[in-house]
Amino acid sequence: MTEITGVDPKGNESVGRAVQRKEDYRFLIGRGHYVSDLRLPGTRHVAFLRSPLAHAKINSIDISSALEADFVEAIFTGESDPFKSVSLIARSALPSYIETAQPILAWDKVRFSGEPIAAVVATDRYLAEDGVELIEVEYERLPTNVSAWSTPAEPLHKEALDNVLLERRFQSGDVEDALAGAEVVIERELISNRQGGNPLECRAGVALFEPGDGTLQFWSGTQVPHLVRNALAELMGMSEAKIRVIAPDVGGGFGTKAALYPEDVAICMIARLMPGTPIKWVEDRAEHLLSATHARDHRYLVTAGFSSDGTLLALKADVTCNVGAYSVYPWTAGIEPLMAGGLLSGPYRLENYDCMVRAVATNSSPSGPYRGVARPASVFAMEAIMDEAARRLGMSTIDIRRKNFIGPQDIPYKMPTRLVDDSGHYERCLDKALELFDLDQFLEEQQRRRGTNEPPIGFGVACYNELTGLGRAASAGPRMPFRTGHDACTVKVNPDGTVTVFSGVTSQGQGLETTVAQIVADGIGVDYDDVQVRIGNTDESLWGFGAFSSRQAVIGGGAAQLSALVVRDKVIRLASELLEIDINDLILRDGKIWVAGEVEPRLSLAEIARVAYLESNRLPDGMEPGLEATRFYDPIRGAFAAGVQIGSLEVDVSTGEIRILKWVCVEDAGRVINPAIVDGQIAGAIAQGIGGAMYEHLIYDGDGNLSTGTLMDYLIPTSGEIPEMIIGHLQFPADNPLGVRGVGEGGTLGPNAVIAGAVADALGILVDQLPVTEGAVWEGLQ
Amino acid sequence: MKPAPFDYVVAASPREAVQYLADVEDASAKIIAGGQSLMPLLALRLARPSLLVDINRIPGLETIERISETTIRIGTLVRHRMLCAQTNSPLLHEAARWIGHSAIRTRGTIGGSLAHADPAAELPIVAVATGMVIEVMGPSTQRTVDAQDFFIGTLENSLADDEMIVSVISPLPERWGFAEYTRRHGDFGLVTVAAAEVQGEVKIAVGGVGSKPVRMLESEGLVNDSVTLSGQLIDQAARAAAASVEPNGDFHGSARYRIGLVEELVRRSLRQLGSGQADSEVDWS
Ligand SMILES: Cc1cc2nc3c(=O)[nH]c(=O)nc-3n(C[C@H](O)[C@H](O)[C@H](O)COP(=O)(O)OP(=O)(O)OC[C@H]3O[C@@H](n4cnc5c(N)ncnc54)[C@H](O)[C@@H]3O)c2cc1C
Repeated sequence: MTEITGVDPKGNESVGRAVQRKEDYRFLIGRGHYVSDLRLPGTRHVAFLRSPLAHAKINSIDISSALEADFVEAIFTGESDPFKSVSLIARSALPSYIETAQPILAWDKVRFSGEPIAAVVATDRYLAEDGVELIEVEYERLPTNVSAWSTPAEPLHKEALDNVLLERRFQSGDVEDALAGAEVVIERELISNRQGGNPLECRAGVALFEPGDGTLQFWSGTQVPHLVRNALAELMGMSEAKIRVIAPDVGGGFGTKAALYPEDVAICMIARLMPGTPIKWVEDRAEHLLSATHARDHRYLVTAGFSSDGTLLALKADVTCNVGAYSVYPWTAGIEPLMAGGLLSGPYRLENYDCMVRAVATNSSPSGPYRGVARPASVFAMEAIMDEAARRLGMSTIDIRRKNFIGPQDIPYKMPTRLVDDSGHYERCLDKALELFDLDQFLEEQQRRRGTNEPPIGFGVACYNELTGLGRAASAGPRMPFRTGHDACTVKVNPDGTVTVFSGVTSQGQGLETTVAQIVADGIGVDYDDVQVRIGNTDESLWGFGAFSSRQAVIGGGAAQLSALVVRDKVIRLASELLEIDINDLILRDGKIWVAGEVEPRLSLAEIARVAYLESNRLPDGMEPGLEATRFYDPIRGAFAAGVQIGSLEVDVSTGEIRILKWVCVEDAGRVINPAIVDGQIAGAIAQGIGGAMYEHLIYDGDGNLSTGTLMDYLIPTSGEIPEMIIGHLQFPADNPLGVRGVGEGGTLGPNAVIAGAVADALGILVDQLPVTEGAVWEGLQ
Repeated sequence: MKPAPFDYVVAASPREAVQYLADVEDASAKIIAGGQSLMPLLALRLARPSLLVDINRIPGLETIERISETTIRIGTLVRHRMLCAQTNSPLLHEAARWIGHSAIRTRGTIGGSLAHADPAAELPIVAVATGMVIEVMGPSTQRTVDAQDFFIGTLENSLADDEMIVSVISPLPERWGFAEYTRRHGDFGLVTVAAAEVQGEVKIAVGGVGSKPVRMLESEGLVNDSVTLSGQLIDQAARAAAASVEPNGDFHGSARYRIGLVEELVRRSLRQLGSGQADSEVDWS
């Protein structure tokens, strides 16, 4: 492991320690403030009428009897403005991309079951739902398609008669030639399962249009408040100066809350139509399963060639992603296919690559960003290929991976998709994971059980590279009209020497207030407890794209670090003038100014801040009052985080039950800011990954009804299903101000491949389809 | 996901509760006990009673009493967690442990579970396997119904609209076995099997394979006709059970898989019955 030097190694450093999280106390005593907790006087509640059909023309919407009900205050449909004239259109300049217009409230046609059609406003949610029942809609059913790889019955959008919204081919080298020379050619069809983010807190918003000054305030559980403000201004024809978006405490997001939804726009529009009245909508779980974004409904047709020594020679793939009814705003239908094709070969060296990816619209809820974006599925596909090649070549599944890893000597490694890998530490991760897993002991036990009646055991391995903290070059792929490479941070020392930070990051439980405070505390040289971080308010922080792509520690953290250093610099300069001592002899540590070599500090930060704000007469010539700085940071490229997971399980062959025995994960997080938070991110992501591997599955029937519409049928694992985990770290610093690599998503990348590989190892059954249920295992054994 | 409007009354006695039921026109009143099945139905607007009659404050319905050497009476408001805690019936203790999670077991009641008649629920299966007798009251009637006749179909029981369960008489089996397979900790079982020997006769009831708990008559015959419960006989009974069920498949498990589970779980429950587990100490975990 690499030694990392901090800004001031002698100081009371905060970075690197599991300091107590700033958020926890208020959460633990029940004083967190979520959107649902906001109770403004005169609030009115919205319930949406949602389509019961997956695909239908709307012939008429009759709201007359609902309007007659005295408890209904207002009803809005998409047939009238402002709703009718606005739609959500995700833009991309990719040549084959076809835009879709997602209505705020569907009025001519519905394209998925659960699509909002009308909004009813009442004094409480109960009455609003009563009102919804009084609306009568006459539908004309259209043929329905919920599978992206069956022949389309009826186009969803007239612009895409084949329902294909995007196609892109990644090509490098000569695949056919390489396959012809291969010793072994593997062909597989692999299918991953449709899932949803299911944060504990579903979506929620309160919108208030203030008639006095024409401002709109929108409290929203969004992961991306600045993007939301930007979009709302455009969609509602308002100036950004008059919109404030506030994301208060948010109870989980996982990507689901990184999209702007029709419901968000609807309640803002309603607020403008009902000036002075706070308009509130809190999504319930049934709505969430039905209409929040879904993900990972993919099929991979893969052909791979290997030489006799296990070298991967060529990879050919055809990847189809079910993107649902609309191209998700603002990320586009490209979000999953482009990621799947861009990173399919993972941590392995590869020259010959030919991969066609496509986004296919179906009558299902739109697919959007979900923790790990596509890669839990693409890693599953790639690792299935590696496992099978090993079996066919008589190699161990470990050796074949070693053979193909991108290594430190290859860095920077240009992948066949032109992404640049800056890590290369996969083998080190694998070594450490094997050590923690104790493979020899496992193999001995596996051997021992083979002759007995005891349940067979197997182990599986997943090696992956997570592209984190994408800068402007790395985020260019989807060709959207914005590049998510940068964030801003403002750091300000208050007149009493305490520090307030306005950061562009957002937090859905990841502890960003803590992480940013640690960075700033060390950056300036003050105590962690003296730093307060404010996030999630577009009127306070200058700019931030928000939470997605494991970007915030890298980019938001980088901006915090840069701003803190500028402030520190000014403090030292001012101290130097006041003390008449050369700046190079001064140290700022623990909120005090020390002269190098002395035991007592000369000045406190509070004394300096007082001069900066209150005693301009003592400021040197040309120095402005105040101690504040705002800096942006953009890493240009990204930081690849290497990761390896190894797990073992036993199978009860009489029921197909899978019991996980051991789970090891080793990730390279670069420099770890807060070990407890990093471990929490990894453990939570693995748990979510195990959910996807074994339980979570959104299933539509042939008519496009969601069969798994409650948590009785959409199974999220509980602590009873999640094993203890052994988490190991490597710390190879990345090339950014803090040396950090993102760890928010990596954990989700492993479990599909680990479980599938381990079942194959235990039973000799090839897993082609997720999730791996006991029923599927049992059927496989018959 | 909010209930449609309803009125609400608190009943002070069983008599008053059933009178409320009888007095409501169009028979649209419902009793609410623990609310663990009814509340979700209300929230999804799948049930739309005009009146809810709350029986939770009726005194005397939350007790378990021993009425003979071999039987206990369980009040309708006895919560699942009290079944877990009691020591009279190790079978009920074991079965109740499998119901949902602790929050649900703290509120849910035995009467509610039986009345709700979910074909995968543990207590109806145990009721059929042990031959419980359900004590029912109406505005002017009092009667008992054998568990076997109580369940009519999925979420359907044989109570009249103005009747309620007051208590159940539960025979204490000499020997028993219980086996369940759930996808996650706390889920309803994909298949659940209870086998109980009461007064020398073994009954086997299976849940998850039909619209109500299903008796495995052929397997029971094999077991009851034989003096000893050999491994071979258990296998035979398990296969007979599997051959007799016709479950529906769904995305939690195909029909074929459920049949496979029936075989395995009947085997396990009979093994447990044969090992005389019922006399062993209660596992409190
Ligand atoms: C997440 C979750 C998981 C669960 N898992 C399981 C499980 O694994 N196994 C299982 O068996 N159950 C499970 N349950 C259901 C639980 O056991 C319920 O407690 C039980 O089914 C109903 O009991 P209750 O007292 O809550 O009845 P209520 O919900 O109050 O009522 C249910 C029905 O019974 C009627 N009723 C209630 N009492 C009487 C009476 N005395 N006379 C006549 N009618 C009456 C009501 O009118 C209603 O129709 C689960 C519930 C939840 C929410």
